Amino acid sequence: MGMTDFKPLGEYDRRAIIDALAAGTLEMPLGHFTARIKAQVNTLVDFLYDTYRDVPVKTELSDVTDISIHLRAPSILRKYIRTQVIPDPGFQVPAVPLPTSMAALAFEMGVNLVVALKCCRFVSCHAGVVANEKGAIFMCANSGGGKSTLVSVLMEDGYRLLSDEFGLLCMESASLAAYPRPVSLKNVSIDIVRQLSGKEWISPELSGTPKGKIAYRRARPDDINKAHLSAPAKLILFPSFNPIGGHYARRLSVSEAVMRLIPSSTNYHLLGEKAYLALTKMVAGAEVYEIAYRSTDESLTIVRDLAVKVGL
Amino acid sequence: MKPDWLKVMVGKLPLPNDTLERCQLLEFADSHHVLGQVAAVWAPSVNGKTYDVLNNGLYRASFDHGMLRFEMGRIERAFIGSGIEPILLKGASYVAKGLKAGEGRRVSDIDILVSEEDLVEVERLLLAAGWAFDEATNNEYDQNYYRTYMHELPPLRHNLRRTVIDVHHRILPRTSRVGVNSAAFISGAIKLPGHNLKVLTEIDTFLHSAIHTFADGSLDTPARSFIELHYLFADIPVAEHQALLERAHIVGAEMPLAAALWGLKAYFSNEQAQDLLSDFKLGVNPIVCWAYMHKLENVSTAKLAKLLLYIRSHYLRMSLPRLTWHILTKSYKRLTQRPNLPLPPGFE
Repeated sequence: MGMTDFKPLGEYDRRAIIDALAAGTLEMPLGHFTARIKAQVNTLVDFLYDTYRDVPVKTELSDVTDISIHLRAPSILRKYIRTQVIPDPGFQVPAVPLPTSMAALAFEMGVNLVVALKCCRFVSCHAGVVANEKGAIFMCANSGGGKSTLVSVLMEDGYRLLSDEFGLLCMESASLAAYPRPVSLKNVSIDIVRQLSGKEWISPELSGTPKGKIAYRRARPDDINKAHLSAPAKLILFPSFNPIGGHYARRLSVSEAVMRLIPSSTNYHLLGEKAYLALTKMVAGAEVYEIAYRSTDESLTIVRDLAVKVGL
Repeated sequence: MKPDWLKVMVGKLPLPNDTLERCQLLEFADSHHVLGQVAAVWAPSVNGKTYDVLNNGLYRASFDHGMLRFEMGRIERAFIGSGIEPILLKGASYVAKGLKAGEGRRVSDIDILVSEEDLVEVERLLLAAGWAFDEATNNEYDQNYYRTYMHELPPLRHNLRRTVIDVHHRILPRTSRVGVNSAAFISGAIKLPGHNLKVLTEIDTFLHSAIHTFADGSLDTPARSFIELHYLFADIPVAEHQALLERAHIVGAEMPLAAALWGLKAYFSNEQAQDLLSDFKLGVNPIVCWAYMHKLENVSTAKLAKLLLYIRSHYLRMSLPRLTWHILTKSYKRLTQRPNLPLPPGFE
């Protein structure tokens, strides 16, 4: 088994990371999961050095991993001419080839797909989750629902990041597991978060991607070091950005909340009864609201009020 | 794939201690749809991450088996009062019979076999019970092609549950060059205890798997097929090995049986298979063996091996003029249709 210890990726010599990536032996813990990364793409190395610099990694494998991602050219041609990359997790995925300059996006999407489709230990729902020592705020929304902005804003409010893309619910304890990956920001939210968090926390922007302009907000060392700590959900939110409507917070019943969480899950159908019981238990221990807001400031006011109300 | 990985996957050799190789083996198992079967062997005796990864395979298999149990009930219900008892084939039958080959196995489509004279009634009853022809093949060309040349109806997908049934009325396509006696399989089937369904005998189950692997298609799930043959062969008592040879002659499965025995010898060092193969007066085409090995092990020549097996599978399936027309039509359709792979919920 591996002889080296984990240390932050940014502390490694670039050559060591490049060699480990080429050999497919770069091991990276992501909360309760571990990933094995294989790639020979310079733009990915740049991205990892920037956005994953505080994540402890190993250049030799210490164990098998939950996630295995090979970032590679979709064809021989695209390895050399107008180079492209796709994430290859070992099974067929609906991923479009992206130009090599967008390797970061291909990597993030690839890892998300593996967690969504392959990892069965947790019920995974599309949700952003933050927590303090009293409990977690679980914000359930699909891409474009404004959850990443809310997650970033709440991180500045003293919450630690549990996850941006997937809320991971442990089926035994019905508590939320941490999975601190970079927060994916799109279009206008990039500037909002950059102003709030400081530009040193935001990755270089990628323009013209299939999702528009994107950038990543790095997880903080504290988020990463506390990734072993799970948190019970105290507040469950279904947020929606509603620029032309009003703002409101409407409390939902347990049954309505569960029925809205089920379609947001990527693996509920597979896990069945155990997932149902865990979701029900999570909802029973929390207050649930559907909220709508016209601006980031307004969303923050609503969420702060509700957080106080539930004792967070 | 390393040649001895199949032995690891069925528990005849220990899991590799080298971490990278263990990763690669588990990833190979996952991408070849046998992670659950590897998990059925190894999950009880490992812990940590290896257990976690294997456990993913068990969850999937358990979902599939639940689906299968439910669908078996629905299929029986569709045939109540008709006197028709469909024969479960392949994965569905292994799981239903509780065979080792079914432990941890994925089941996606349910294959059933009925006699050809019941086919019209079977189709009518399944359509009445909510199955419908799958959109992908519900067009004039495909419907006509399946009904005229193939050994099965076009796939039926249930309107509500989206589960798929393949209704076979023969073991191989009507035009196949391998003359398998389908009627012998159908008349030899036995009742599945507690159900209005039938299954093949142990010997016929093994022979059918051998036919499916070596005389139909181009070995598209090689690891799964070899593992399946290993377990199904072990289910046949040694005292019945001569009966296996005789049955192969009766049903016309000499070539597939020889190939299966070769595979068991080559990848599982099965001495009984080797003994039987030397008793058996039929050889195995060395070029075909070469192609099987190279496709399975995915070495640098795998592309050539795949091409050879692809050509062979079509050569076995139908005559050249018919094949040419079929491939031209299919290629035209493929070129004019956009690929449509669904995204999981929530992804844009």
